[in-house]
Amino acid sequence: MSFSKLDLATYPFLSSTARIIEELGVSFYLEELLSPTSEVFLRSLERIREAVFYRVTTLRRRDLDVEILSHPVALLIINAMEDKRLLNIYAEAEKNRVHEGLIRESHERVLLLAVDGFGWHIHKEGDGFSLRFDDYLKASTHMLDPYWKLVNRSVRGGYVEVSRKDVCRLLAEAYRARILEKGAKRLLEGLPEDVKPEVEGLRREVDAALPKGKAAGLIERLEYNPSAFPPCISKLLQEAEEGKNLPHMARFTLAAFLLTVGKRPEEVMELFRKMPDFNEEKTAYHLKHVAGEIGSKTRYLPPNCASLRTLNLCPLGDSTCPKVKHPLVYYARMLKLARKRNHE
Amino acid sequence: MSSRDSENYIKKMFREYYLKWDGRPPKEYERREYGFVPSRKGDVLRHVSFNDWREMKEFLAKNAPLHVYYSSAYYLQPSAQDMESKEWLGADLVFDIDVDHIYTPCKERHDKWLCLDCNFNGKGMAPEACPKCSSKRIDGKAWFCEECLNVAREETEKLVEDFLMSDFGFSEEEVEIVFSGRRGFHIHVENDVVKQLDQKARREIVDYVKGMGLILEGGRKKAHAPPLNASGWHGRIARGVYELLVGCDKEGAGIEEGTTKTICEKLQESKGYWLVEGDVCRAWLSLAKKAVASKRCNIDERVTIDVKRLIRLPETLHGGTGLIALRIDIDGLSGFDPYKHAVAFNSGEIKVKVAEAPKITFMGQEWGPYLNQVVEVPTGLAVYLISSGNAEVSP
Ligand code: SF4
Ligand SMILES: [Zn+2]
Ligand SMILES: [Zn+2]
Repeated sequence: MSFSKLDLATYPFLSSTARIIEELGVSFYLEELLSPTSEVFLRSLERIREAVFYRVTTLRRRDLDVEILSHPVALLIINAMEDKRLLNIYAEAEKNRVHEGLIRESHERVLLLAVDGFGWHIHKEGDGFSLRFDDYLKASTHMLDPYWKLVNRSVRGGYVEVSRKDVCRLLAEAYRARILEKGAKRLLEGLPEDVKPEVEGLRREVDAALPKGKAAGLIERLEYNPSAFPPCISKLLQEAEEGKNLPHMARFTLAAFLLTVGKRPEEVMELFRKMPDFNEEKTAYHLKHVAGEIGSKTRYLPPNCASLRTLNLCPLGDSTCPKVKHPLVYYARMLKLARKRNHE
Repeated sequence: MSSRDSENYIKKMFREYYLKWDGRPPKEYERREYGFVPSRKGDVLRHVSFNDWREMKEFLAKNAPLHVYYSSAYYLQPSAQDMESKEWLGADLVFDIDVDHIYTPCKERHDKWLCLDCNFNGKGMAPEACPKCSSKRIDGKAWFCEECLNVAREETEKLVEDFLMSDFGFSEEEVEIVFSGRRGFHIHVENDVVKQLDQKARREIVDYVKGMGLILEGGRKKAHAPPLNASGWHGRIARGVYELLVGCDKEGAGIEEGTTKTICEKLQESKGYWLVEGDVCRAWLSLAKKAVASKRCNIDERVTIDVKRLIRLPETLHGGTGLIALRIDIDGLSGFDPYKHAVAFNSGEIKVKVAEAPKITFMGQEWGPYLNQVVEVPTGLAVYLISSGNAEVSP
């Protein structure tokens, strides 16, 4: 399958673009690209700024070669800055850009992009598509909304029915996950000396735009991965998803945990919407508070295991539980395990 | 006679079994980790691997362990001592259906439990914690009767036919059903699609099979009801409701005759989703909930989600029963009788002193109930009673 240069710039997950990204790490002209006057370097910095300030990157059609290379170089820079939070924001912004592109594509093109970019087993089915369940799960398990839960989908013969809109969301999400996966690997020993001032300048801007919370030390290393949740949180999450009426403390615990591991207040809000006594204004206020956006400006952390136990919120789940004193520590441990596993 | 003699006897019988053992290896057996429980008091011996299946046979014949396990996971270095250096390559998708975790009414008759801390005791399913002193040290005596077997079998059929084959599209060859050796079945799916699934994906599959997090379309006043032939849970719910209504459960559903008729007719006619409103909607939702409860499959989710777990190796003996963890094909499931087909020792009789045992059908013949008496029973039953701690060998 051949794609145009514009396609490669728009969809960095396409196999040919992905190859450029792979090869860049070892290529001889990387030095040329990573220099203060290189157009690619300057465009890369700008891409990162777009992500931080607008939460979506843009596509420049002026010079497509520069555009294509600026994404992998941006990743190299972020990686060298060792800022997990920045990587998350960049991945999210890229996802948003790609999603906007995808929803304008035809059925046929969406299909081609999915097959070439991610090797999905997908075919047209009625007005929508059928996607093999493993491909579906790899992308959908990152989404919090129960709409994406497999149990709520039509599944038959190993294939999941998905609409065109769904596929666009799933592709964008798979792209985000791929950036996080790539970005977490050590790509480069360090940046060349002459670009360091530029990058330091960028770092100052980023830090100003994204103030660090009190608990930032622990929080920054955490990514969103529900399978690593401790039993107490999984249980609350499930009950919330089922629309159970959770007591105040249970809600606080769940909200504080989800916000800490990177969910936005609006997303947590959607979850709480199902509760019988949901009150939009009140909930919004509470969530902003817990997230540290108003009030004392300190981000709240979920209670520790001992408190959860006295509150009857600790199901005393598995063998990891007795070894930890705080659900976040449980989570951090499981994440570490999961990351190790994904690193072969 | 002492329990030492009983242990020696079991060891002798297990060795006899393993001397002739010719079990089929799991897929890519040299990538698996194996674990053994050598004796009743011994620790689990883990991190063992075999490059040649003959070594496994020799190992079993030599050691005659009480329990033999293997990893559902494939590792680059299966014998490495810690999980990180093993280097996980993938894992089969495994399900555990165990009557230990499923309520069956017959347990009130044949199960008992005792709190090891305060001696409080009761009949039926053992509680998680003692209701009197909330200790978790509970000792249970559990039996696996015909009724229990039926429940386990039904759940297994549901899992394999409705979920794994119809929804997930696995073929009969990819799905292996194994008697757990005690009170249930293990279902292994070995194929390349499932191998790479991470824990998140496996959790989603668990939720799917258990019907967890299912959103029933619509609100209290209005809803869209699916047609009988819808795929996934929607069709399952429609069919479940239909079965409830045409079945004998009509009164149990607690719904007016007229409403019942409306829903029934609609389900028979509808090719697509149809609107339910008002009273019918209320009835529909309550029926749908019941349908979910009857269609969901009762698996032990931890086994499926944990991708580094050890599970009993098919065709080996269960040290708590002396029965074989037998591979069963789906057609053979309905006729499967563990106390006949999974019996490893078929010849001779011996005398045992039975502390307590309910009536049990073994090799097609009824035995017991026994209470503190010396009886002569077939070897297989003797091994079963001794292994499960209900009897000792008698001179
Ligand atoms: S011990 Fe801590 S982490 Fe484990 S379930 Fe209880 S509260 Fe959660
Ligand atoms: Zn007690
Ligand atoms: Zn029973």
